[in-house]
Amino acid sequence: MVNKKAQMKIQQTAFMLLAITIFFVLVGLFVLIFKIGSMQDTAEILERDNAMSLVSKLANSPEFACGSAFGTQKVDCIDADKVMALKQNSAIYENFWGVSNIEILKIYPASEENIECNSFTYPNCNIIQIKEGELAGYSVSNFVSLCRKESFEGSPYNKCELAKLIVSYESIQ
Amino acid sequence: MKIKKIMSKRAQEEMIGFGLIIIIVAVILLVFLSVSLNKSKKEVLGTNEVNSFIQSFLSYTTSCAEYQDSYYSIQKLIIECNNYESDCLDGRKTCDVLNSTLKGIVDESWPVGENTPIIGYELSINSEQTELISFTKGNITNNYKGSVQEFSSRGMSIIIDFTAYY
Repeated sequence: MVNKKAQMKIQQTAFMLLAITIFFVLVGLFVLIFKIGSMQDTAEILERDNAMSLVSKLANSPEFACGSAFGTQKVDCIDADKVMALKQNSAIYENFWGVSNIEILKIYPASEENIECNSFTYPNCNIIQIKEGELAGYSVSNFVSLCRKESFEGSPYNKCELAKLIVSYESIQ
Repeated sequence: MKIKKIMSKRAQEEMIGFGLIIIIVAVILLVFLSVSLNKSKKEVLGTNEVNSFIQSFLSYTTSCAEYQDSYYSIQKLIIECNNYESDCLDGRKTCDVLNSTLKGIVDESWPVGENTPIIGYELSINSEQTELISFTKGNITNNYKGSVQEFSSRGMSIIIDFTAYY
């Protein structure tokens, strides 16, 4: 009788332990899934920020940046005259930037139709296509000021407009 | 009979204990879940883009001429508007030009509407105690991109605050 009672007690404890273990394992799994989900979100945000800083780096590279040609040194400022010269020699820079597509889209003042910039249309145009490639990957854009020299009755002055530098990557590395 | 009664009572007590443990753990879990969900609701999506936007529009050359061959940038126009020093060469008020140019820039750069992911935006430019510019469009949500930038002119601090809501 005592033996059977002890067996029952052991069985009861075992079931209890099993139930508690399963319960905590389920809770643990739930927390883990939740944590992994938020980690993926954080990774996506970091990846996006990284791609964005690559665009900023490109805008501030010597091939694009205004430098001190328009007064003081400016961040995220692209020299349109320099870029137009670069566009004509884009074949030399074919594999230089490691991106598939680079273009500058003028945002403000807005124009009703898209006119690609070339030696005939510049500066009355709104798209400067610097590197033309496949648009298979993903694109990142960032705001830049697009500056050039204009002239009024023979004397030059600086004119800066608002544009977006759009860079397309073939794949995320 | 008495032993059976005692056994049954003990089993009942154990069941109540187990139930209590489950309730306590469930409450802890719910609290954790609600805290986590609240945290993830209010998400700042990154400020790089907005920083660049503010930097870029400050350099924008407006149509307000200082001299015949020199036009004010937005940054200079903010200073002129703040100091009430001069008007544009064509007689327009610097604050009016600043207001209309900035409205155009923000509307073109952050289009609010059904076909765009942007639900609203807020822009304010303040100089110490004075509000120079303030406009809002659309709705305010918990997902946003925002940035605050400051520059000073003649000892006066000017603060630009822009937030885009998604």
